[in-house]
Amino acid sequence: MKNARAMIEQLRKGGKPVVGCFPLYPPLELMHSMGLLPVVLWGLRDSVSDTRDADRHVQPYACSVARQLAQFVIADGPGLLDGLFFYNACDTLRNLPELLREGIAGSRRITPPMFRVHVPMKEDGASGYLANEIANLIKALQASYGVSFSEERFARSVSLYERARRLCRRLEDAVAEGVLTFAGFSAALASANFLAVEDQIALLESTLSDCEGSITQPSATRVIASGILPPPPVICDLIELAGLRVAGNDIASMHRSYAFSPEAWGNVRDYYVAFYRDHFPCTTLLHTADRRVDAVVDIVSSRHADAFVFVGEKFCEYEYFELPYLEQQLKKSGVPVLSIEVSIDDDGSAETFRTRIDAFAELLSGREGRHDA
Amino acid sequence: MTREKTRAGKHLSELLMNAYMGIHGRAAEGAFVVWGAIIVPPEIFRGFENVVLCVPESHAALCAGKGVGSEECLKAEALGYSMDLCSYARIDIGSLSDGYQDSPTFGLPRPDLLVSDNNNCSLLVKWFDVHRREMGVPHFILDVPFCYGPQQEKDLAYILSQFRDLIAMVESMTGETFDEGRFREAAHHTAEGVRQWKRFMSFARHRPSGLTVFDSFVQMAPLFTSRGTPEFAEHYKLLADEVAERVAAGVFPVPNEKYRLLWDNIAPWHQLRKMSERLAELGANIVAAPYTSCIGSLEGSFAPFDLDKDTDPLWHLARSQNHSVCPMGMDLRLAALGSAIEEVGIDGVVFASNRSCKVFSVMQMDEQRLIGEKYGLPTVMIDVDHADVRKFSEQSAYLRLEALLENIEAGRVG
Repeated sequence: MKNARAMIEQLRKGGKPVVGCFPLYPPLELMHSMGLLPVVLWGLRDSVSDTRDADRHVQPYACSVARQLAQFVIADGPGLLDGLFFYNACDTLRNLPELLREGIAGSRRITPPMFRVHVPMKEDGASGYLANEIANLIKALQASYGVSFSEERFARSVSLYERARRLCRRLEDAVAEGVLTFAGFSAALASANFLAVEDQIALLESTLSDCEGSITQPSATRVIASGILPPPPVICDLIELAGLRVAGNDIASMHRSYAFSPEAWGNVRDYYVAFYRDHFPCTTLLHTADRRVDAVVDIVSSRHADAFVFVGEKFCEYEYFELPYLEQQLKKSGVPVLSIEVSIDDDGSAETFRTRIDAFAELLSGREGRHDA
Repeated sequence: MTREKTRAGKHLSELLMNAYMGIHGRAAEGAFVVWGAIIVPPEIFRGFENVVLCVPESHAALCAGKGVGSEECLKAEALGYSMDLCSYARIDIGSLSDGYQDSPTFGLPRPDLLVSDNNNCSLLVKWFDVHRREMGVPHFILDVPFCYGPQQEKDLAYILSQFRDLIAMVESMTGETFDEGRFREAAHHTAEGVRQWKRFMSFARHRPSGLTVFDSFVQMAPLFTSRGTPEFAEHYKLLADEVAERVAAGVFPVPNEKYRLLWDNIAPWHQLRKMSERLAELGANIVAAPYTSCIGSLEGSFAPFDLDKDTDPLWHLARSQNHSVCPMGMDLRLAALGSAIEEVGIDGVVFASNRSCKVFSVMQMDEQRLIGEKYGLPTVMIDVDHADVRKFSEQSAYLRLEALLENIEAGRVG
């Protein structure tokens, strides 16, 4: 896979403005329908060898997603991105726009236009507010890029994104069936993220088609992986080497992103009201907390998983506030939980992770042995 | 140096004790108990006769100030809560977990309703969700958009509509009708108290200053226990009057004040006395902090935002929802900081990088640079945690504070 910078450079050759969207769930369909190329700025590890520019602006106790994103935008944003989109996904991200502006200004370059939306963090009484935010965003995009909006084009974009999400779900099935590795699945999704949706579909279809001829891997202990981003490749490898198969996931950049699209909607505003209100539960969408444990338990059950592996993003307080309860509920249902934490500086800690993952796998195989007996 | 307790200090202790005991007493008699975030306007609940409000953040600060913060944090960590989470939240969750055995206020009565507010920090919602799950009580989220510039009309209307929804929810849960008159009266008690608070804070402009920031930190407590009551307004009048008298009499907390500093962040509750005394020995006085100056103002300013008799108090509360620094973008924060630096006369700024409060701290590196550039002031960044002393290195903090003072001195000589 090429790194994010190279892929965005490739995207730009098509002549359409590229909008870098801050995680986690930006209105991609809308931007695409207006002739823009939105990319979600996560999975930047390969493009960011260090965070020296970001470290002058962002405190070291911000998560690696924010620090890598800041580094990427400060170092490469002005020449690479034609716009930046933000919403109030978390407290750190909501503070980043002005930090990035300062970082970019420090090297006397021009900050790309910034677009901001407040996504209501409650279910009741907020639909009118969000509808207005979407209408304002459309106006701002029109004014900045001279593009137009139409409901027909929006419907076509929705259909394309839904097709891409459906393919992601089928690839997740393929991982569960053992015909695709989780690392391979994660890599495909990471590449797709920096493509136009039409090319995402082509890539995902080709990945799926490659799986069809693959030999099913021997049966393994099935686990669900959870976190904000997929585990780093070294951890994915360790999980699989330990004889565990990621039969499903509750990862924000993966399942939480592709699990849901509204089915019935009247116009673009309705679509996004339903999109955020009924979204697959995520720790960052505050109003979804009621539904989260049930949704996770459902994944564990429907995937016939034996255990749950939480790969936490260091300093992601959203995840860590919910983890004790989630862990308690899963354990109550007889699902063992392994919780490990990764941070930006953890590249050299593979052996520590290996020990913990191997020990967990042994514990699970011991349980299976006891069950068999 | 030990400072004698002032009249306002003694009054504060009584006021707080009465407030906490009053809450427990009324809850025991069947009052409807709300737990609210610090930015949730208490005046709304004063519009009901039989509703009491408790503020877990304030209780957590009190625990930290009384020296039990880290013990309470440990209890939460034993339940699986990460040490990286806000220490207020850990203290609150930890102290509740063992029935408030170490709480200086005998804890808080069990809530009937939780009201969080995501403008100061979204994590408050996650924190209150912990209680919602644990206690099975409803949780109302006040969703307040962040301000990169002055609050917009659409956001004001959105906040107002949520206040009305909250009132309707309390009416429906209690069976009591919201009393507009009671609410208006409470809002005016608060407004008068806040006017007196601003008067108290204005004595920081005097040289030497009539107060230290540590006095203002301690004196914030009634804002979370007694807002909307006559006692609230009376207390701050007493405080402002007393400071006025002391200034007139030439009595100052740091009489040999050589360095006037500004503190940027939440109070380090576990260090108030120690830090205040140690700095005073060096002739340094932290005279202002956005954390206390923002009270009674709008976003981007520390100027008073008064409530006059013709203004709808609910509108006034909604308009001032972004006052508390955290829900402001950097341009607004710098504007407010700049006005304090100029009006109060600041020689140096202490940026307290607080791991327990990312929202307050995450943009401080640029603030520090920009303030230094614009005002030519020496600044320093120290690591603190507002309530967990385990995450505070006294030696490292004082080393940097002393370096700041040397830097100020060097600037004067040069």
